[in-house]
Amino acid sequence: MNTECVAMLLAGGQGSRLGSLTFNNAKPAVLFGGKYRIIDFPLSNCMNSDIDVVGVLTQYRPYILNNYIGDGSAWALDQVQGGVHILPPYMGQKGGRWYSGTADAIYQNLDFIDRFDPEYVLILSGDHIYKMDYSKMLAFHKKKEADLTIAVMDVPWEDAHRFGIVNTDEEHCIKEFQEKPEHPKSNKASMGIYIFTWKELKKALLDDAGNRESEHDFGHNVIPMLHESGKRIYAYPYSGYWRDVGTVQSYYDANMDLLDTDCDFDLSDRNFRVFSNNTSRHPQFIGPQAKISNSLICDGCIIFGKVENSILSHDVVIHKKTSLKNVIVHTGAIIEDGAILENCIVGARARIKGDARYVTDPADTTPEIHVINN
Amino acid sequence: MKNAVGLILNVDGEDDSLKDFLQHRSLSTLPFGGRYRLIDFTLSNMVNSGLSHIGVIGSHKYSSLVDHLGTGKEWSLSRKTQDLSILSGSNNYHIGRLIKVNLRNLQNNRGFLDATGAEHILIATPNLVTTFDFKNAYDIHLKNDSDITLIFKKDDPLYHLKDNDLYLEFTKNRVSGLHYKREHTTGHFFTEMFFVKKSILEELLDLSERTGDWDLMDMIKYNIDTLRVFGAQHTGYIKRVNCLENYMKTSMDLLEYEIMQELFLGKNSIHTKIKDNHPTLYDDPAQVSNSIVGSGCIIDGTINHSIIFRDTQMNVGSHIQNSIIMQRCEIGRNVNLNYVVMDKDTKISDHTTLVGKPHAPIVLKKGTVI
Repeated sequence: MNTECVAMLLAGGQGSRLGSLTFNNAKPAVLFGGKYRIIDFPLSNCMNSDIDVVGVLTQYRPYILNNYIGDGSAWALDQVQGGVHILPPYMGQKGGRWYSGTADAIYQNLDFIDRFDPEYVLILSGDHIYKMDYSKMLAFHKKKEADLTIAVMDVPWEDAHRFGIVNTDEEHCIKEFQEKPEHPKSNKASMGIYIFTWKELKKALLDDAGNRESEHDFGHNVIPMLHESGKRIYAYPYSGYWRDVGTVQSYYDANMDLLDTDCDFDLSDRNFRVFSNNTSRHPQFIGPQAKISNSLICDGCIIFGKVENSILSHDVVIHKKTSLKNVIVHTGAIIEDGAILENCIVGARARIKGDARYVTDPADTTPEIHVINN
Repeated sequence: MKNAVGLILNVDGEDDSLKDFLQHRSLSTLPFGGRYRLIDFTLSNMVNSGLSHIGVIGSHKYSSLVDHLGTGKEWSLSRKTQDLSILSGSNNYHIGRLIKVNLRNLQNNRGFLDATGAEHILIATPNLVTTFDFKNAYDIHLKNDSDITLIFKKDDPLYHLKDNDLYLEFTKNRVSGLHYKREHTTGHFFTEMFFVKKSILEELLDLSERTGDWDLMDMIKYNIDTLRVFGAQHTGYIKRVNCLENYMKTSMDLLEYEIMQELFLGKNSIHTKIKDNHPTLYDDPAQVSNSIVGSGCIIDGTINHSIIFRDTQMNVGSHIQNSIIMQRCEIGRNVNLNYVVMDKDTKISDHTTLVGKPHAPIVLKKGTVI
């Protein structure tokens, strides 16, 4: 088998900063924008980039994720050769162990990549919301004859200290890395998307695995090592919508971006669709007294109350005399008669009693987001 | 229901009032309820009752049926075990009157009957809107060692009945007479769903070959004394879509929460072909009440007492009420619609007003641009 580019999607992280949203669920399988799960974005990007071999590395709470990915047909990744492969840690002749870092997870699956004998390997992570045509980045990588290409985007200068920052020359060749720098020299932030030339990656992973001091992390160990040894590392400039949804606040904000008409992230764009694994549900039932404005609502919802500036996943029931404002509700939650919710995230299958009051001061422009689970 | 197979066959014909919808599709794939096709109800009821082999006889307009059913995956029917068979098309001859169950259709598909090892066949029409568990009826069928078990409803539940609709007459618990509406009515109405023993069906098929009488219901009617025919009662909601007025009324029934609950929120769901749509976006000026809305819509206008299918776009200042808007329609600004049924892919430009009547809604054919 020969495949030009294999994608490896790192989906094993716990996502502890998402609090109770990831108690029973891996971060890439957390719901987003109503019907989607975070992993839909990189998988749909692969589909839209003609990348048809994807290895998904799972580790933490994988059940929902595995079940959701299924045979990959939702993203047209159900090919006879290739397609999507779920890669959990496994036992070998010398025993087995967990993935101990991003680079280690790929290292443990060298055999998998070798089966496809690719020229290039694309490394993705399962916690970003964006649309990107990786084939353009691959073309850039080939044109630059790079060993490694890192996707970067301009972030506001005041936020640059929260990112891995790269400094490049005019040819986009990376000259310096700064990890979360106090005094950033540029505002080009790494998006955690890498294309490696496979033979270089393989060599680097074998070296890294032999290094007892290494934490086996791409950002901290492997990439600095390649940089020091003088490999050709380029920055692929990306402009467009991209969000890291690693914290409750950033997750909430990115969801709410979908309701902002000025935001250029469009899920209804037919030219670059985001696919998801759908199941059959009845259409939305909107009751006689319901009031809905500026909201995204999924199939299976039943609404008798007032819903404003909110996102409802599948099978949510909103009873009478309720009011929801700036709220994200996950699958199957029930909001009982009289509940008033503002600025909350309601977890899957939660039941909110009628006397619930989560109301914030209108003067507070950055109210804390409550995550309600039960 | 290991020993039974399902057979879906239109026993209602296609009424002229629906002809605008049925140019490119059969009655079985008429869009219904925001995301379904009519056949989804009968097919899901069969699957949910435990039938694992189902044959579907379509009309000559096959493509929408084949496109909709695909491999049957969405109804948990697998291609590998040949759970779903799409059979040879139906011939409904109008010679004086419409034959309900035309045995020629079964004769053409004798191979399906021969191949099944099951001893009982459940035949049902694809234009019923109901959720029904066939298990009880099947138990009655087996317990009475019945040749034929007709599923009936008390009183007249199905809106307009036609002259060739059938009523059951009982003597004790056995069906002792079958009457066409034009002859005689009773309180027990045939729902066009029934179990028949395969051996009996084969006998009747052989008989019809010799006599040239192709009407199964006629043959049952005239041989009612020699056949063991029993009835099984349907007690829930059931409506039959066989004309435009029934289509409107049955669609609007869904806006009553109790009916919606019975049809969609019970333990068994109605399955349909899955589409990959974004969630529906209700923009700031949207005002929607008492309606059913599919996914993938973008709504900026006012909607009341209507059914909106998937992927519809509706612009600012527009007002829809008492209407059915099928998939992928586009509605411009300041459009007013009342009692309108828009078939798929229809576009309405700005400042258009269309007002139909409850019994005679305005119908816009598929792909119309106004």
